[in-house]
Amino acid sequence: MGMATANSGGSEGMELCIFDLRRGQQEGQELDKILFFFPADLPFSTQLSVIGLSEGLITFTRIFSPEAACELIEAERHSHVFYEAEPDIWMVMVVEKSKEAEAIWRIDALREVLKEIHSLFMMFYGPVREMLEKDPSGGLTRAHLYPFIMDYLSDFLVGKKTQLPSFRDCLKEFGTVQMLTVGREAAIEVQSLVRVLESGAGATHFYSLILFQDLLVSTTLSPDDTINLFAYAIQRLSPRALSSGASSWSYLRRGSTPSHVVVGPTFATVSVSDQFHHLPANSPSQDNSYHVKRPLQHNRWSKGKDGFLVTDIWGTETGSLIPSTPTIWLQQTGERMYLCAYQYKSLTLILLVPLSSILNGEQGVSLVKQQVLENASLKILKVEEKLSKGWGGENAYHVSGYRYLLIDDDRNVSRASPPAKVTTLAKESLLAMSKLREEVDLEKSRSKWDNADRDKDLEICIRVKNNAWVIARTTRGKELYMVLERANETLLYASDAFEKFSDRYCGGAFSLD
Amino acid sequence: MSAKASSSQLSVSSSGSGGLSHVYIQHPPLRCNVPGSRGLFYDDGNKLLFSPTSDQVFSWKAVPFDPHVSPTSDSISEGPILSIRYSLDAKIIAIQRSSLEIQFFHRETGQNFCHKCKPESDSILGFFWTDCPQCDFVLVKTSGLDLLAYDADSKSIHVVETKKLNVSWYVYTHESRLVLLASGMQCKTFNGFQLSSAGIVRLPKFEMVMAKSEANSKPVLADEDVFIATIYGRIYCLQIDRVAMLLHSYRFYRDAVVQQGSLPIYSNKVAVSVVDNVLLIHQVGAKVIILYDIFADSRSPISAPLPLLFRGFARSNSSSSRSTAKDIEIPEANISDPEAIIYGDDWTFLVPDLICDVSNKFLWKIHLDLEAISASSSEAPSVLDFLQRRKLEASKAKQLCLAITRNVILERRPVSTVAKAIDVLLMSYSLSLKTGSYLKGTKTEKISHSAGPQISIPQSGASHQSSATVDNESMNRSGNLSTSDSEDNAQFNSLKAISIVNKEKLSGGAESSSYEESQLISPSISVDEMYSLLFAPVEEEMVGDPSYLVAIIVEFLRSASSEKIKVQPNIYVLTIQLLARNERYAELSMFILNKILEPSKEVAMQLLELGRQNSQIRKLGLDMLRQLSLHHDYVLLLVQDGYYLEALRYARKHKVVTVRPSLFLEAAVSSHDSQLLAAVLRFFSDFTPGFKNTPDCRAYCQILNEMNSAVAV
Repeated sequence: MGMATANSGGSEGMELCIFDLRRGQQEGQELDKILFFFPADLPFSTQLSVIGLSEGLITFTRIFSPEAACELIEAERHSHVFYEAEPDIWMVMVVEKSKEAEAIWRIDALREVLKEIHSLFMMFYGPVREMLEKDPSGGLTRAHLYPFIMDYLSDFLVGKKTQLPSFRDCLKEFGTVQMLTVGREAAIEVQSLVRVLESGAGATHFYSLILFQDLLVSTTLSPDDTINLFAYAIQRLSPRALSSGASSWSYLRRGSTPSHVVVGPTFATVSVSDQFHHLPANSPSQDNSYHVKRPLQHNRWSKGKDGFLVTDIWGTETGSLIPSTPTIWLQQTGERMYLCAYQYKSLTLILLVPLSSILNGEQGVSLVKQQVLENASLKILKVEEKLSKGWGGENAYHVSGYRYLLIDDDRNVSRASPPAKVTTLAKESLLAMSKLREEVDLEKSRSKWDNADRDKDLEICIRVKNNAWVIARTTRGKELYMVLERANETLLYASDAFEKFSDRYCGGAFSLD
Repeated sequence: MSAKASSSQLSVSSSGSGGLSHVYIQHPPLRCNVPGSRGLFYDDGNKLLFSPTSDQVFSWKAVPFDPHVSPTSDSISEGPILSIRYSLDAKIIAIQRSSLEIQFFHRETGQNFCHKCKPESDSILGFFWTDCPQCDFVLVKTSGLDLLAYDADSKSIHVVETKKLNVSWYVYTHESRLVLLASGMQCKTFNGFQLSSAGIVRLPKFEMVMAKSEANSKPVLADEDVFIATIYGRIYCLQIDRVAMLLHSYRFYRDAVVQQGSLPIYSNKVAVSVVDNVLLIHQVGAKVIILYDIFADSRSPISAPLPLLFRGFARSNSSSSRSTAKDIEIPEANISDPEAIIYGDDWTFLVPDLICDVSNKFLWKIHLDLEAISASSSEAPSVLDFLQRRKLEASKAKQLCLAITRNVILERRPVSTVAKAIDVLLMSYSLSLKTGSYLKGTKTEKISHSAGPQISIPQSGASHQSSATVDNESMNRSGNLSTSDSEDNAQFNSLKAISIVNKEKLSGGAESSSYEESQLISPSISVDEMYSLLFAPVEEEMVGDPSYLVAIIVEFLRSASSEKIKVQPNIYVLTIQLLARNERYAELSMFILNKILEPSKEVAMQLLELGRQNSQIRKLGLDMLRQLSLHHDYVLLLVQDGYYLEALRYARKHKVVTVRPSLFLEAAVSSHDSQLLAAVLRFFSDFTPGFKNTPDCRAYCQILNEMNSAVAV
């Protein structure tokens, strides 16, 4: 329930492509610019027409706005969402609009999906452009992009259909992290642990990320790197991700109602699983000469005896059976890091160790791991105990009577009503909220161009047909969205309820007058 | 030259003045030489050293220890003197004349009277004055204890109660108010009484442990083999077992005597002192001292056995070679060779920390060399632990603690080590806050004085160091020569001693104004001092990556939070600066949001200051101001950021009247936005009574009109 289906007439209603404007500029070489296309079994002519339209629009709009070209095409039945991932490397998503099929989109949410695909790709492989430079034929890039994005999209797969974030997900925010609220004492314990982890090896500093359940507790990474690693961690490394086997992006399904049956490792429908599990014959990336790691593959992580998580995705070190430690790229510093994840009960620790600091490969990594266990295991126990004690459970952040989404844009943090509670809202309320969010998105992007330094204060209250109040307020980098159903009819009441919430849960940030 | 230098060095070490040592006695001693002296006696109840002549008694106050104190004298009648003690109010002198007779002198009137025992069976072993409510005077006889009361009106003394017991010899210290009576063939069966102001407690009878040497010879315990030691307010008895070469220890509780394990001894003659709650075992034969801190369960010595050191001799002395030193008369000191004196045969150890050199008529006070002790161990946390328990030289201990902690941080020792060190300091501080010893000076002590030592309740640690003021004297039953007297360190003296130390040692300048109070009675370091004397200087000295110091501060905060100690904002401000130096803004906001750095105006201002580089941090500062309800500052900053209308709304909601309208108006004018100016004017006209009649209003209305007409043109 609740998921929009981008599927119509038997074919996937969604198309997703990545192309490079610097390639294939000569007549007859157009295919060269296509780096990725989904669905891959579309005829090239169709693929090229989608890309051709996009390219044309980009070229045209650049005349007026060289910095930010086309963002969106709204056609009668389709929306084309543009995202320039790297200079001249564009991602375009085409979704079909359909009221009946609940295919009502918030464009910014879709763009966030594109953004996340690219960020994660960068985290594991580095920039697309660099890869293209390494192998100008494009084969290497395609060989990486295809399985990666297919693995990514498989998380959105429900039954046979790819379900993208729709209006029903209006009280969620993609591309943000969710944080655990901790008391001062526990926070100090956490920091004490962080310092131990950080000071791992003399002069070089390690980075760390600590999660409790699916919530972030601490990070020493830059905000962007935190978002990426957090997204990966809750999908593939968290206790829930490990235990449920094949999981899906919890963005869509975290704490979801039982009707959201998680897709098993083998898909029910052969035709779909074909699409996701095998690289189709006509795919440009069908080239087995490249050794491609697939970090988003399901069921490839497990907990080792020493508490560290292990995976064979990165293969084994030559001449041994020990799985190689995964490596990732940090966006902020461009450094390559070993990723060591340790799990104790609900606590997941991710330690990033610079490759440059370790001279003897796996041996060095296991030495570091050993050191961590020696120095930090007591603290880990203590932190886990403290956090478990303060943990309010799945619905810890539910506020009765309210359905809300709170976003801190500066810190890329969001908090929302538990998904199970959001599903109790009427469709009208959700549609109104989705619409409202689009308005705010628009307003935000406008004010960004007008005045980059000043955040705009904004307040909108809507009385929906079903007598619900739908409220949005933004103030200096913070946004609060709220749906009040079965509430009193006066605006004063709605405003009071809002104020109360702000005072109680947001430190009064939204109560200016 | 070099040969001379080396020889002089040798002599220095041989004379002990330059050698390694943890305990020293400071020259000059208290000289109690009077012509015609018939020996020295120590009264530990009054901390007086007596030297009687044929018709006078000279007395020196031993506590506080002042080598230049002049004696007072009282006239007495002629006769043999076995022992002398003043009553606790110092009005009456009691002199034991024989094994049957005690003579009392009233000091003011000179009147005297005698108390005699029946000659048949009894003989007097000794006596002492007591502050217990039932009686004033206790007579220890071979047949038991006589408790006597003094009647001021009739100027007589009468028996109140008798406790019949066989007594071979006894040990008493005023410090513990405890009298132990030995009986039995081997003198190893003991009865004990504590006669304190709280009343009389009878201890259960107990036996001491004696190893057998050979099949038939049973060693007999002598009174010089048993010591009562008061450590951290707890009362212990230490007993020498010459056969096993062990020093057994027992601890006294109200209803039990519990053996506490044994310490090895390395000499046939052993003496015991307690200095500042540190147990000193003098291995007299080996001429070394072993130190124990009997606080926790550990019975391991604090450091290696080292000799006692003489301090304060003229340098010329030490440069002379060893052989000649013996012959040289040091005119001022009148001591021929210091080494010859160390542990001389007629040294008597007085409870708790005095040494009486009977032949030279010197009284020495034993001092701990905290510096040397702390330098002999590299285990910072345990050294700090030890130093934090020292009260006598609290100020010095404090300086040492600070220096040690500073060094471990500067040396970048592992965070866990530093964390332990900080734990020790903060726990000690927290304890001193609870017991009030941190701020209060001498007050606690008088109370404890009258309350007497606690024989009973197992004490909770260091808090009772202060209450251990009571002093003890190991009884002198040996004939005429020496009363083994003890000075006891009532804290008055120790305080005075400290202030002297303060003057000479601490003039270094490190100490901030915050402790002018030379009356430190606790070495604990407040959180504020941690900042000003530890973190701030360390931060200045430290080079390179500040994240190590951040880690240390986090540990400090953890420790403070677990001890529930409030932390001053200045440490938070420092933390913010350190994090910002590394541009770790994301972590900084986490610190703020989780309130690891608690909100305060200082913190908010620091955030705002940093906010010039990072707008997020500025917002954190603003939010903090708002949450602290610092409305005035908040409104000003909103205006500064250009949020005029928001500022006005906020000011109205929170009734901030301290911000002048002209501030907003000027800001609005400078924005060149006539709408804004109009809005601001309108706001004040509507909400500020009387605004319309102010010159401000007229002036700005005029400006608004000009702006509008300019637009119209």
